[in-house]
Amino acid sequence: MPTVVSPVRAPVHVLAEAVADPTTGAAPRSVTSLVLETQEPVFRGHYPGFPIFPGVCLIECVHRSCLTTAPGTPRAVLTLAAVESTRFLGAVFPGDRIVIESTWTAISDGWRVTARIRGDRGDVAAVRLRYHTGEAG
Amino acid sequence: MTSTWTVAHRLPHRYPMLLVDRVVTAVPGSEIVALKAVTTNEPWYAEVSGDARDGDLAYPAVLLMESWAQSAGILAASRSSDGDPLSGDVMLFGGATEVRFLHPVLPGDVLEHRVRVVRLLSDTMIFEGECLVAGRPVMTVERMVMAFRPAQTLRPAPSTTSDSGSPAGTQED
Repeated sequence: MPTVVSPVRAPVHVLAEAVADPTTGAAPRSVTSLVLETQEPVFRGHYPGFPIFPGVCLIECVHRSCLTTAPGTPRAVLTLAAVESTRFLGAVFPGDRIVIESTWTAISDGWRVTARIRGDRGDVAAVRLRYHTGEAG
Repeated sequence: MTSTWTVAHRLPHRYPMLLVDRVVTAVPGSEIVALKAVTTNEPWYAEVSGDARDGDLAYPAVLLMESWAQSAGILAASRSSDGDPLSGDVMLFGGATEVRFLHPVLPGDVLEHRVRVVRLLSDTMIFEGECLVAGRPVMTVERMVMAFRPAQTLRPAPSTTSDSGSPAGTQED
């Protein structure tokens, strides 16, 4: 088990792996979920007496989901190159479950992932990430 | 120079999510330079094992973003009066465009956040800038949007109805 340095403790549950559909040629899509328990360390300081899941931690949930579901056999090694865009639409509170639907598009040296996050009360965020594959840095 | 106490005074974030250590220079409404020292003493490193290698210890990119955004938040807070950061208007992370990560950041590195105001509207601020480690850019931010909303719109309502906990509009950060 490699060391995971992350502000989010919750494990990523894989509901669907990113597998391209060979018949339709459609882009790979993956679906994951996370349950953000009260014990998540970020809630203590964000904010005291008013816990709300930080927006950047929603991006982290997408990122960890991508690392877990990356296409390929063996799984592609992804390096986060950019957060291309983010939009925050609703709040996430302790105990909430989020579901992340990600669409993978191949780019010249990696993948672009467009993700939609839904929570217990509707849409939470839209996130687009860009990954390089292969070497770190 | 702004003291550490002043950083905590201007932001509602607290341990472990207060990710700015010191303000070096600030010009209200224009620009700020702020520092954060990355350390393995942060809780994200709690599970690091003895055989971890440098590549395993990279500081989470999203926390680099958060630390930069908080520096922008200090600049934004300078426009309003001091006091309880959760009363009056609070700053919301509205969104970001093209935040690039150029090099991994490791424990022991000192982040130098440089944030500039691109546009200043009545309830919105737009920032750009970069983060440097030892003079080398590790992250560039094309655009980050912060919005100001009354704090009470974010507080979960104290009523017992099940649909009362959702703040209006945006995700706070």
